[in-house]
Amino acid sequence: MKPTPFGNGRSGRSVRGMLAGLAFASMTALGGQAALAQDVTTIRVLNWEPGGADYWKALVAEFEKQNPTIKVELETVPFDRYPEVQGPYITTKSGPDVMENNAGLELFDRRRAYEQLPPEVLEAGKDLITYSGGCLNFDTSQACYGLPFGYQGNVMYYNKKVLTEAGLDAANPPKTWDEMNAACEKVKAAGKTCLAIGLSGIFPAYWNFPEVARNYLTEDDMRAMLAGKMPWTDPKMVNVLKGLASITEKGWTNSSAPSITMLPDGADIFQSGNAAFAGTIISDAANWAAFGKILGDENLGAMRWPTIVADAPLAGSFSGIESSVFGVSAWSDKKDAAFQFVKFMAGKENAELLTKVAGGISLNKNVDPSILPKSEALTQILEIIKKPTLHAGVLLSGQEADALARGWQEVSLGRLSIEDWTARMQTALEQSPSKRQ
Amino acid sequence: MAELANLARGAGDARARPFIRRDMLIAILFVLPGLALAILFKLVPLVRTIWLSLQETRGFEDPTFAGLANYRAMVADPAVADSFRNALIAFATLPIWIVLPLVLAFLLFQKTPGWKFFRAAFFLPYMIAPIVVGIMFRQILAPDGPLNAVLRAIGLAPLAIEWLNGPTSALLALTAVALWSFFGLGVLTYLSGLSTVSEEVVEAAKLDGAGFWQLLFHIIMPLLKSVIGYWAVLCTSGILIWMFPLIYALTKGGPGTATVLPEFLVFTTTFQFMDRGKGAAIGMALFVFVAIVSAFVVRRMYVEGSKPR
Repeated sequence: MKPTPFGNGRSGRSVRGMLAGLAFASMTALGGQAALAQDVTTIRVLNWEPGGADYWKALVAEFEKQNPTIKVELETVPFDRYPEVQGPYITTKSGPDVMENNAGLELFDRRRAYEQLPPEVLEAGKDLITYSGGCLNFDTSQACYGLPFGYQGNVMYYNKKVLTEAGLDAANPPKTWDEMNAACEKVKAAGKTCLAIGLSGIFPAYWNFPEVARNYLTEDDMRAMLAGKMPWTDPKMVNVLKGLASITEKGWTNSSAPSITMLPDGADIFQSGNAAFAGTIISDAANWAAFGKILGDENLGAMRWPTIVADAPLAGSFSGIESSVFGVSAWSDKKDAAFQFVKFMAGKENAELLTKVAGGISLNKNVDPSILPKSEALTQILEIIKKPTLHAGVLLSGQEADALARGWQEVSLGRLSIEDWTARMQTALEQSPSKRQ
Repeated sequence: MAELANLARGAGDARARPFIRRDMLIAILFVLPGLALAILFKLVPLVRTIWLSLQETRGFEDPTFAGLANYRAMVADPAVADSFRNALIAFATLPIWIVLPLVLAFLLFQKTPGWKFFRAAFFLPYMIAPIVVGIMFRQILAPDGPLNAVLRAIGLAPLAIEWLNGPTSALLALTAVALWSFFGLGVLTYLSGLSTVSEEVVEAAKLDGAGFWQLLFHIIMPLLKSVIGYWAVLCTSGILIWMFPLIYALTKGGPGTATVLPEFLVFTTTFQFMDRGKGAAIGMALFVFVAIVSAFVVRRMYVEGSKPR
């Protein structure tokens, strides 16, 4: 029998010992790696980074600190491109473990892509001012698919410097449509744009429509809209369209309005100091913190949109909605970790980060008010949001939001009548899968 | 005996002859992977799209069979008609897409002063991502953007229009931006074709007194017919099915539906309106439309290519 090379002698023993040692070390290392891989769960979170990059960096760090066995991988998409990225994921039933969505109809439309939140996760909702936008038909007793973290809604920002240059009293911005018209005449005479606006994309539906709708609709009308039972041919809805059309017809806006989006183009016009007013939102992107940083907090004011019908029941209200909600995707195989993240989003620690780092307005009732940044625009916003109502924008279907924007573009260019716009809106309503009776 | 022996040999040959010849087998083996890929990635998705176009889809709920309902809805939808009308208008610019790069390529071929610089410069736009091109031109074409500033500065103020606000100007602006982004590839394609043209032929024509345009139309174009045909097919698909990123970044299809092309409508219908069935039906209509137009162009290319020079 031929001896093996390592079969005999001292050198053979030492080599065998070395090999055994190596094998043991390798197995230990592999075993260790396997244990590590088993211990850490990585979840992918699809989001549009509401509140900005710094806030999300801090948020992920805090979550991972609290949950050392879960690692978060962010997939961040710009807000105006979000539906186009999320759509294919939902259609193919694959992709991220956690997804962000606007509360309301947009979430209800996509509810099959979300896992219903279990009671232990919904428990976190009790610390919030509201979380109904994540639940079917805005009813917390029905199935809920996502939890919110911040408060969102529309206000009109104004640049005090531009108003003063135009000979207006910056301490008393316009409160009615007529006052706004008079102010715009002066601003235009001073060579500036009165209202910075962009009519492309989803912004007209979310940021402008609700503010005009409050002048004509009641909350019951809005619930009827959600159920698809409020036709666009109804005189109230026609008045809303007329109100929107009057903004561009009166020449308040930048001439590029029909071909640009409010974010970033419209907001850029306001941020550059070339416009007196901009209708945007209280939290996330294009908010008081972002504008204040560029224009200077001392030059920035926030007000309710001027009223068209002063005695309308909701004219003095705030179109508020949970900013966005986070839910767990139905196809995720890491649901426990994903639910943990959703719960964290609604929690107090995240609420404080939102306020401190992003200057956002949290829905969590336990946030210490003293940590809020000092800003006059923020103080004005905190006053405005005290009288909330439903946000009509999130009740529009994708078809309606698209027809609203395209119709308004054509109306402002004088190529479409209000009657034809109304007819298009009605067709869009009838073609909306989520609103079919 | 000899006959018997031949018969026996013949029978033996018949027994030995394989069912498929060896060269045929090799040919099939070479073709199979390509065929499998074509079936998997072309035919199967096409059949699935046809099937989806016959389904009614309510958001993300499970679809139900709807027959031709999506096609009827598509025909009744004015946005669909608008998008195909826009596609035809954009397609009508095809001669510019074909001739402009050819003229530029011929100038380079003739070593016009600065040709080395322009050869690189012309290709540069093609290397910029279409989405970036769209964002770039949204700024350039703005009412107070650089293009209008230049026009006003050189005394052409009447031409400083709101490019992206007018229904015709927006579509033409979109097409022009696409052409700007794409023409460099055309120049390169034509240059490779021109490299096969004999210099003696060009010199002889020049000696006979042919000018630039005579040379181009009577000498170069007949010699480059097959290259022109190839480029025409590329441009056809470029105009009809590759404009999406530009539309998305530049106009989002607006104002109104002025710059909505069918491919953009397929996307919005499917992913924004959650109407996958109707989106698939529009996609099928686009497929047929492109197939008809391309078939015409390809046929012309083969007819011209097969003619003796």
